[in-house]
Amino acid sequence: MSDKTKNVVVTFTFLLVLVLFFVINLCTKDIEISYTERRKLAQFPKVTVKKLFDGSLAQEFDKYSTDQMIKREDFRKLKAALELDVFRKKDNNNIYLYQDSLIKIEYPLNEESVLNATNKMNAIKKDYLQGMKCYYTIVPDKNYFVSREKYIGMNYEKMEEIMAQSLKEMEYIPIFDCLELQDYYVTDIHWKQENLQKVVDRISSKMNFRDRIHTNYTKQDIIEFDGVYAGQLAVKTAKDKICISTNEMIENATVYNHENKKETKIYDKEKLSSNDKYDIYLSGPTPLITITNPNGEQGKELVVFRDSFASSLVPLFTEAYSKITLVDIRYMRSKDIGNYIELKNQDILFIYSTTVLNNSSTFK
Amino acid sequence: MEKYPKQKKIFLITSVVLSLGALIVFKYSDFLIENVNGIFGTKVALLNLALPIGISFYTFQVLSYVIDIYNGKVPAQRSFIKLATYVSLFPQLIAGPIVRYTDVEKELTKREHTFEKFSYGIRRFIVGLSKKVLIANSLGELCQIFLATDEKSVIFYWIYGIAFSLQIYFDFSAYSDMAIGLGKMLGFDFLENFNYPYISKSITEFWRRWHISLSQWFRDYVYIPLGGNRVGKVKLIRNIFVVWMLTGLWHGANWTFVIWGLLFGVLLIIEKTFLLKLLEKIPKIFQHIYVLLIVMISFIIFNANDIGQAFLQIGGLFGANGEAFINSYTFYYLKSYFVILIIGLIGATPILKDKINQLKEKGKVRKVINALEPVVLVCLLIFVTAYLVDNSYNPFLYFRF
Repeated sequence: MSDKTKNVVVTFTFLLVLVLFFVINLCTKDIEISYTERRKLAQFPKVTVKKLFDGSLAQEFDKYSTDQMIKREDFRKLKAALELDVFRKKDNNNIYLYQDSLIKIEYPLNEESVLNATNKMNAIKKDYLQGMKCYYTIVPDKNYFVSREKYIGMNYEKMEEIMAQSLKEMEYIPIFDCLELQDYYVTDIHWKQENLQKVVDRISSKMNFRDRIHTNYTKQDIIEFDGVYAGQLAVKTAKDKICISTNEMIENATVYNHENKKETKIYDKEKLSSNDKYDIYLSGPTPLITITNPNGEQGKELVVFRDSFASSLVPLFTEAYSKITLVDIRYMRSKDIGNYIELKNQDILFIYSTTVLNNSSTFK
Repeated sequence: MEKYPKQKKIFLITSVVLSLGALIVFKYSDFLIENVNGIFGTKVALLNLALPIGISFYTFQVLSYVIDIYNGKVPAQRSFIKLATYVSLFPQLIAGPIVRYTDVEKELTKREHTFEKFSYGIRRFIVGLSKKVLIANSLGELCQIFLATDEKSVIFYWIYGIAFSLQIYFDFSAYSDMAIGLGKMLGFDFLENFNYPYISKSITEFWRRWHISLSQWFRDYVYIPLGGNRVGKVKLIRNIFVVWMLTGLWHGANWTFVIWGLLFGVLLIIEKTFLLKLLEKIPKIFQHIYVLLIVMISFIIFNANDIGQAFLQIGGLFGANGEAFINSYTFYYLKSYFVILIIGLIGATPILKDKINQLKEKGKVRKVINALEPVVLVCLLIFVTAYLVDNSYNPFLYFRF
């Protein structure tokens, strides 16, 4: 190609690309939700004089234009491919692939955040749980199971140490050794309910309700799904599968949601149509729910202060209690707990994942 | 000035005071207040004024215009639109290069548009955008990772020093590439602002290759009016210090920038006095190592929040902070950013450009390269879009200037 031809080709190709992208973007309807990122996408900003002059309009438009770019998901995958395959980076946006599992790097340890979490837990203990035996456990994130030589991760031992020093009036139930990477979904942050028997055994033994639960579950495959990390990398991974462990007692138990005042089952199959299939377990994130088990031993009650990991674990405790209350202080203020629950003589368990403890600013 | 030659000095002073006054108020008032509060123990509240984008650049453009007219180098522009076009010319408004009125005077009236010029502009713009998004931003991530971690090691300090030196070069030169490219598309010929500064063999040479428009501005409008080289030794040293203190301050309202500028002032005096002659006698490799080491340390100071952090980081390079020589964290990020660092190191030299130009001398190969160029440019544009889409907030480093 001669210089002259090249100049013409470069000019028209560039202009064509610009015009094409502009016109197609203009004609394409805006999308509301990114399912792979589990978030709402920015919409065209409301134009006001104030926003124009304080610069927020330009920022919002910038966000809008990148969020609503045509073929956005494909562009994101292309970026991931370039990062991993061309630039040979070990992770993309802190997510990497290890033994078919998509793993997010949770690093570094945020000691202030861990202390904030323990302060909240201690405040709850002081305000509502005086004289009651309290237990806590920590759920490791997937990154814990990956070789420190190949990847990086927070100092988990230090986190346990801080928790132990700060929560002297509570008993720690270690479960790190009860889990392996294979016990977690490959495309999601959470653990698989069907792999939690060792965890159930450990917690129930420590809290003295091991003799009240049995393991005669029927396991049912419910649906295939892509977890929160699916689509983050341009690599193909196996699909995950929601599998529930159920029995007659679990089937007969009811779940009351104090927020929307709705009664559901432990496995809420209506949630299978939602973005996050993991919401089948206790209907997903919510501030306060109560599980009532009419066939459980009367007078035996459990209160769990928890994050989403408890949603798939606690159903396996159902047999041991007539009533289980789950409180999520990321969605309700700790000081309002007394308005909803009468705390006296229940078993108490705090269960939080390392990810939440390391990012506890949402604790209220 | 042309109409009232007797009053032209008053016009000059008025214009300079107004232009510099605005720059001082917006950029330096809080710095001055902090120092006054620090020295006298007063509690004068900071103004926290928003810095108008590109104020450092267009202030210097306006000053060069007024001073050139005062000196009779160019006639005053009688068209307000053309003058406004010069001052607010968007391609280089935000991050340079500092375009002198004399350089674009004719083009403000008459510009030539050709496919050759337009396609060169496109190429330059896309290459600049790619340098910024694919290389500078990635290196920026690495620097942020270093600054955020408590698990530093001696090697990680060196990686940070190298990564930031490359980041600032690719970031700033990329912006100049884009400005020059956009200028070409609009028919303007802006002067080059960078010429592979990291291949310099002395600091004197480095400043002939780095931010050329700024160095030349200070040379022509501060250094030479102060007497330049044609003065005694004491005045020469004063002139150099004034220029480099101002160069430092121009980059930011912080003592780290002043020290950064003065460091170069001291080095240039030393080089002028004896070091340049000494450097010529040693092998080239050591000349390069000398420049790269000094420049890297200078950029560590440049990027530090305060002088204490700068010294801590410089000490870290030599193991003064008691950290491990290397740790798994450093190793992870070294592996993760190794390719980008290598691309950065090669891209900071003219090796690739020279090779392509060499190949282009062969007729057939030139045709192949010409055929590949549009494909490569489109691919780069798509890659950059992918990165920008994935990363919605993406400010340029030099926005703060």
